[in-house]
Parts: sequence; structure tokens; C-alpha cells
Amino acid sequence: MLLNQHKNNGLKRRLATLMLTLGIFMPILAQAYNSVTIVMSAPTPANLAFIDQFKTELANTKNNNLSVKVMELPETGRLVVAENSELVIALGTKALEEASKLKHSTPVMGVFIPHPTFNSVLVKSHRDRGNFSAIVLDQPFARQMTLIKIVLPELNKLGVLLGPISSQYGAKIKEKAEDSGYSIFEENIKQETDLMPKLKQLLDVSDALMAIPDPHIYTRETAQPIILTSYRYQKPIFGYSQSYVRAGALAAVYSSSKQLAQQAAEIAIKSQQAPSMLPPLQAPKYFSIMVNYQVGRSLNIPLMEESVIYKKMLEAEPTELEEYEPI
Amino acid sequence: MMTTNKYAPLFLALLAVYSQFAIAEEPPAIIASSVDVSEEDYIGEVPAVLTVSRLSQSIADAPSAVTVIDRETIRAAGIADLPEIFRLVPGFYVAANAGFVHNTNHVVSYHGMATAYAGAMQVLINGRSVYSPLYGGVQWSELPIAIADIARIEITRGPNAASYGANSFFGVINIITLSPAEQSGASVSAMLGNGRHKAFARYADKVGDASYRITAGYRDDEGLDNRNDFKRTRLLNGQVDYRVDNKNNLEFEFGFASGQREEGGLQFDPYIFLPRTKGIENNFELIRWRHSISDNSDFSLQAFHSYDNSNDNVTSANLRPVVTDIFTPIIGPVAAAAAGASLLQDTVSINKDVTTERYDIEVQHTFTLSTTLRGVWGGSLRNDTVYAPHYLGSNKKDNFDLQRLFGHAEWRPFAAAVLNVGAMVEHNSFTGTDISPRASLNFKLNPNQTIRFGVSTAQRTPNYLENEFNQGVVIPRTAPNPPLLAQYFSDAHNLKPERIVSKEIAYLADFGQLTLDTRLYYDNIHDYIKSVVNSSFAVPGFIVVKNPRFFMNAGDVTINGFEAQAKWRMQDNTNLLLNYARVHISSDELQTAFNITKSMPRNTISALLTHRFNPQWDCSIAYYQTSAVAALGDGNDVGSAQRTDARVAYKFNAAHLKGEVSAVVENLFNEHYQEFADYNTLKRRARVNLRLDF
Repeated sequence: MLLNQHKNNGLKRRLATLMLTLGIFMPILAQAYNSVTIVMSAPTPANLAFIDQFKTELANTKNNNLSVKVMELPETGRLVVAENSELVIALGTKALEEASKLKHSTPVMGVFIPHPTFNSVLVKSHRDRGNFSAIVLDQPFARQMTLIKIVLPELNKLGVLLGPISSQYGAKIKEKAEDSGYSIFEENIKQETDLMPKLKQLLDVSDALMAIPDPHIYTRETAQPIILTSYRYQKPIFGYSQSYVRAGALAAVYSSSKQLAQQAAEIAIKSQQAPSMLPPLQAPKYFSIMVNYQVGRSLNIPLMEESVIYKKMLEAEPTELEEYEPI
Repeated sequence: MMTTNKYAPLFLALLAVYSQFAIAEEPPAIIASSVDVSEEDYIGEVPAVLTVSRLSQSIADAPSAVTVIDRETIRAAGIADLPEIFRLVPGFYVAANAGFVHNTNHVVSYHGMATAYAGAMQVLINGRSVYSPLYGGVQWSELPIAIADIARIEITRGPNAASYGANSFFGVINIITLSPAEQSGASVSAMLGNGRHKAFARYADKVGDASYRITAGYRDDEGLDNRNDFKRTRLLNGQVDYRVDNKNNLEFEFGFASGQREEGGLQFDPYIFLPRTKGIENNFELIRWRHSISDNSDFSLQAFHSYDNSNDNVTSANLRPVVTDIFTPIIGPVAAAAAGASLLQDTVSINKDVTTERYDIEVQHTFTLSTTLRGVWGGSLRNDTVYAPHYLGSNKKDNFDLQRLFGHAEWRPFAAAVLNVGAMVEHNSFTGTDISPRASLNFKLNPNQTIRFGVSTAQRTPNYLENEFNQGVVIPRTAPNPPLLAQYFSDAHNLKPERIVSKEIAYLADFGQLTLDTRLYYDNIHDYIKSVVNSSFAVPGFIVVKNPRFFMNAGDVTINGFEAQAKWRMQDNTNLLLNYARVHISSDELQTAFNITKSMPRNTISALLTHRFNPQWDCSIAYYQTSAVAALGDGNDVGSAQRTDARVAYKFNAAHLKGEVSAVVENLFNEHYQEFADYNTLKRRARVNLRLDF
């Protein structure tokens, strides 16, 4: 608790690493867990694939005795788990919200969580970052820019549309863009009717559109006009999901359920003895890419094989994962 | 020239209602920022955007020369009539108000055989074929479409029957409108110019999963001096895109146009087809279902109906003195006067009404088999009916059926090469079954440069004018005098299709700031369809006073030439589009048509220079130059012509008032040049446009 109350996260992490490395770490207040409860709001294919892979990962790892329980969120009433000896993995926003109401000593890790949502749940629940963490869905901006660089090395003007939710990342995107040698052109969308005119203004000046998730900009409803308009301007879109690529974006970097499960399993095993020392909020460690060759052809963009692009991306990955600034 | 407009008040009232409707809209919703983001926003399904094109290809991969005219180019060119935009396509010859049957129509002709009734091109609006079954051409001013709704125009230069079917002989013009999902809100615009007026209103919105657009418009144009070519058009069209689910889209389109067109001219015919005003009316309805079978496979089903009517009743001049005059040198003044007196009536009345109707249903399936192989195939059924008692010499509706199957595959044997092969099989009521194959190889020298070798063939099915016309005017006389017969056309009903084999070598380059599209082509046209006079025409019981023409398959025509298009982004805000075409037509003129070798200007140049000073102000200058030409079909010798258009526009974007005001001067230096024929003199015309968006 002493450590957790510490305001300096960097120091806290360093101390935790030090103690783990020295093997002198002992549970202070929270007990080590011996089982994992995966909570989900519905058995979606993504969630089921996650659970499957998570179990496989545990089974393939020696020296762990973690058992796995799976439960769906109860429709009414509170979520009940064995709060003192479990790691709760919450799949999705709803599950995380419910899990945040558990006893504060219960370690909770969210998966399939948008970064802005994690922050708001954290604030609302007054939980502590030490045992309340997540693997967010947001890919590191630098990784997205690496993909763009590999696919279109000559491009340098990136357009981004920022909405009420994603506007908080404006500065961060600019910072990362500077590192990657990109100029960022941004348009802020304040009302729905701004979307198309601002998109057109943006496409006028930029070489490509880098999609930053925001529920007010990239929706099922806006996908068609955004993709059609960009196509009309002959400018590619770099998306953040497979479905956006299928719909008409040129390429995207994303993490599959299995990849998220692998990362989650690693954390579950590693933190078993130190449940109040979950690693801080993490970006997805493992990722995939998807390229729409049809779109590439329509825009006359020669594209390398997906596997070649992926290999180049792995080479460009920094050794340290992107860590998000706390609010 | 007609100047009064009884519909103007009605239209203004409509506009007023319209704009009130728009203003009464609720203020735009301010986005609430309290909504939490869910994982669905990241990994949720997004509906696939199913594009309009058959097999969307970049210009560098396409099997033929393709020019894309985008919205911005259309805006910068400052055109008032849609066909004017084709002056910016290499190899096109465009002329205003040509011909003396459709006085108000434009000639849009590609690389040879320019005629007022140019019928060797496929013209599609969102995949709907709009050429007339009667004469194969398009009544450009009657299309129920607003220039402001056009997203882009894709022009295939060269035959592409394998992809676009019937009539894709010299080229294909594919006009694609904006999806209603891309537009929102209301927009009204007005144009005031020398002898011209326009007013348009558009409203677009979304209701649930459906986006829609409605456009209403009015335009009139007094036309050229000394020509009977006033035209007035009212139009209404709508488009609805309904997203059923992530895999299915339904699209509906409809359009309606009506108006008046002046016809006739005393210099062409002072006796029978006198100057007059005819009524025109057309409409269409279309439904399209797009279905995404999988990531690699799409299906679409499209059906449409179109209806076109022109209401034209002509009463001749008093023919008694005319007949007397004509017969005097032949049979002497006394007998000629008796012939004049023998007419049953002073005048004859002719019902020149034409009604055509088209039903068309088409399916296509696009698929990707691997990263190197994809294709499209499909088929269509079409039924055209023509009711044209004067032209066909029958009060019956005539039916024309057409069935076709088409397929096209794109294969990349290795990264630098694209092989396109395709074919169409067509069966029609006039000429039976034909096959039109094509093949091309695009070879990428490097990512910026491509060389294309192509061979494409197409058949052009004769149209009603060529195959079915039996157009005559009977002048009844008192018994026992046999009636007089002026026969204009008497077709032999035995034509074979015209065939074209087009070979080309093209070089394409994209250096970022500069793109080039150049090609050398060599086209062979076989069984060229020409018209000849039947001087032995006789009908028992009639005295023939005018010998008709009929159409026959004649010799071969060769067209070869060079075309180039350059797009140069000189600075961030300055762009230049430059086109050049050289055409050489050779043929035995005894076999084919007189003047055929001169039926296209040897050299055409066009350029569009645009500059944006700041977000508010921009200007553009367009330049068009054609060398001498002697067009076929109502055309004659005209000299070389130069024209410069200038446009300046100011965009405003205040809180409650957005829009643009622009001024265009067409033919800035007031060159009095002739277009298409010596009876068409073009002069300077100016106009101002105002557009307000709400």
C-alpha cells in the first residue's frame, strides 16, 4: 500500500522491477492469486477466441498452477468472484466497469478496452493503478506511423480527424509524428455536420488519412462517406481494425484476440505472486497487419506482401512498449 | 428566340418552399463528449463500401486509356452545359448546337467521324445506359442530372465492349454522381448569363440507415445567333442509399425532366419542317442491390426503366406555290400551276412524336481468386421499344432486344505485369450474335512508369436510324393525281454491325507533381456504315419528289494518331491540365463517306490552368484549340478555332452563410468562330453563379 500510494509511477515501477529481480518480493497485503476469472458481457467470437487462447497459453507454460474460470456478466446484481485469491480479467468495457466495483484489493485487468474508457473507469471507481490495469486496444501511434512509412515511404503529410474523445491525443500524435518525420494536419470535429466539410479540407492538404478511433468520427454510419470521399480524393486511409480495412481502408495494424490473450497470459503468470503490482496500462504487445490490395490497386499504390511489411514492422518495433501517460 | 417563361414563377415558388424547408431544419446536433467509448468502436464491424465500378482499377492497371475528370476540374472549367467538359479529354471533339434535327444538342465525338448524331459511344450515368435507341446518340441537355451532383466522370478512350457492352465502340463515358451519404444539408444555386438562366436546389439528409438526395433544377438557354435553338429544361432527381446491413446495400434512383426545344430552321428547310418548338419529357427509375458475398467477392443486381418522349407536330408551309415552283422548270409553268392546284390541302401536318422506352436488368459478380487474379463477369437483358410513326413509317411500337454476357479477368503473372483479358457476347434483334474480345498487357518499368500494349475489338449494332427508318412525307392530291412523296430515309434492314479493332501502345508516368498519359493508336473500322442516296427509289402510285437515303456497310476506315494528357502540379496551389491529340483518318472516300478523312480536326489542344490564391479566392483559365474540320451528318467545313474561358470564384464561409460566387467569361477574346458547321457561330458569353449552402 505504501508503494501504491506513491505518486511517482516511474519510481514505483523501478522499485517493483528491482524487487522482482532480486526475488525478495513478498506479498504485502494482497494475497497471491491461484486462479483467474475471465468476465465477459457476452460470448462474442472475439471473447471466445481470447478465452481459448488464454487457456492454451497457460497450459503451454510450465510452473504455473493457475486455474481459469469463465463467467458472463450477470444481467442484474453484482458481480461475484472469490475476491481474495483471483485475478479478474475483464473483457470489454462493460465487464471492466462491473469489475471495477469489486473489492479494491482484487486485481483486475481489462482487455479489449479503449484507452479513454480505461481512464474514465479508473477515475470513477477510485481504483488504484497498482492492481487495476489493462491491455488497451489502442495501438501505439508510433507503430501506426511505422506501418505508413513502410507502405508509403514517400508520403509525409498525415491527416488526422480528431473528435471530442480523441482530441486528447492531439499533442501526443504530433510528438510521435515529429519522431517519425511526418507533418500532421488535424481537423477537430465538434459537430456532426462538420465531418464531411472538414474531411474534405483535410484531404485537400494531406497525403493520407490516419484514423484515430473516436466514436463520433469513425462509426458504421460514417464509414461509407469517409471511405468514398477519400477514394474520390485518391488518398489512402490507414485504419485501426480489420473491418475498416475490409470496408475500404488501405491498411491497418491491429491485435487479434489470440495476440491479446498471449499478452494477458504472460501478465497473469508474471504477476501471480504480486497481485497488487500489475504492470501498468499496456499497449498491445503483439500485433498483426492487414492490407487491402484491392484498394491499393485502385489508388495505384504498389504494395508489398503482407508478410514482408510485417517483418519490416517487427524490425522497427522499439524494445520498450509504449506506456500511456496517466491522466 | 423564345424569351418568355411561364414556369418561372412556379419554379421560384418551389425554390422558396424548398429553402424554407431547409431553414426550418433543426440546428445541427452538438456532439456530446460524455459517451464512453466501447470496444465496438474499435473492433466492431464496418459495412463494406461497395463501389460503383465493375472492377476498380488504377489508371496504370486499366486495360485502356482512361481519363478521369473529377469534381474539382468540373468546377474549375466553369461549364454551363455538361458536354462542354469533354473538351478537356484528349481526342474529343465537342461542338455546341450542331445539326438540324436536334438543333439544341451538343456533338460529343471521339477521335473521328464527328456527326451531329454521334452514336458510337456508350454513355452511362451510374451504370445506366442513356444513349438513344433511335439514333445511338445522347440528348445531353435532356439528362435529368445536375452538374453539381457529379462526383467524377470516367472516360474510356477506345473500345471497351468487353466491360461496358453495346455501343462501347469509340469510347465510354461513365458519369458517377455523389453518393447521398457524401452530401448533407441544402444548397441552392442560380446562374445568370447572356441568354442563359439556371436555378438549382438540392437537399440531402439521412434517415436511419438511409441517405437520400433530392435535386430540382431549371435551366434555359437562348442558344446561338441565327439559330432556332432555344431550350428550356426542368428537372428533378433523387437518389437513396439504404444500408440494409453490413453486407447489403439497396440503392434507388429516379429522375424526371421536361421542357421545350426549338427545332427547324428556314435555312435548312423552308417548306416542310418549319421552325417550331417541341416538348420533351423523360423519366427513369432504377434499383440496385449490392451484396458483399465475402471479402473477396461482390455481387450486384441492377434494374432500370427509362422513358423518353418528344412531342413534335409540324405543319408545313403552304405547299401549292412550292410545288408550282419546283415543277415549273420540269413541266412548264402551266402544268406546274396545275400541279400546285392539285394539292388536296395547302399544308401537310406531320406527327414527329418519338417515344422510346428501355427496360434493362443486369447482374455482375466481382471476385478475387488470389492476390494475382481477379475478375468480373455478368450478363444483362435489355428491351428497347420505339414509337416513331414518322421515322419508322408505322404506327406500331417496334421492339429491340439485346442480351449479353461479359467477362473480364485481371492477372498479374509477376509484380511488374498486369494482363487484362475480356470478352463480351451479344445477341440483338438486328444483327444476331457477335463476340467482342480484348486483351492488354501493362508492364511497369518501375513504380512510376507503365507501358501498355492493347488490342480491343467492339461491334457497333446499327441503330434505328440506320436499320429501320422509313421516313417520308406524303402530299395528297385530288383524284386522279397520284400523291407526291418526299422520302427522306428508306433503310434496307440488312446491315451488319460495324466492327472496330483498336491497337495501341501507351506510356503512363506518375512522377508525383507530374502525371503523363500518352498513347499511339491504330484503329481499323470494318463494314463502316454509311448513308447513300437511293436514286432509283420508286413507290407504285406515288410521284417521288425527293429520293431517300439508306444505309449500307461500306469499306474500311483507318484512324491512327497520338494522344497525350499531362497533369502538372506546378505549385501547391497551381495546377495545369494539358491535352493534345493528333488524328489521322484514311479511307477510300468513294467507298465510305465523303469528307470522312476530314471528320475530325487533325490537331486538338485543350488546357486548364487553375490557381488558388487563398481559401477564398481561386481562378482558372481554360483554352481550347481545334484545327479545321468538316464534320459528317449535317456538318460542313469550318476553320480552326481558338477559345479562351476565364473564371474567378470567391468562397465564403460565415457562420450562417456558406457558398460561392463566381463569374465566367466564355470565349474571352470574342473570337467569332464556327463550330461543327458554318451555321454555328460562337461569340463571347458571360455568366455569374451564386451558390448558397445551408
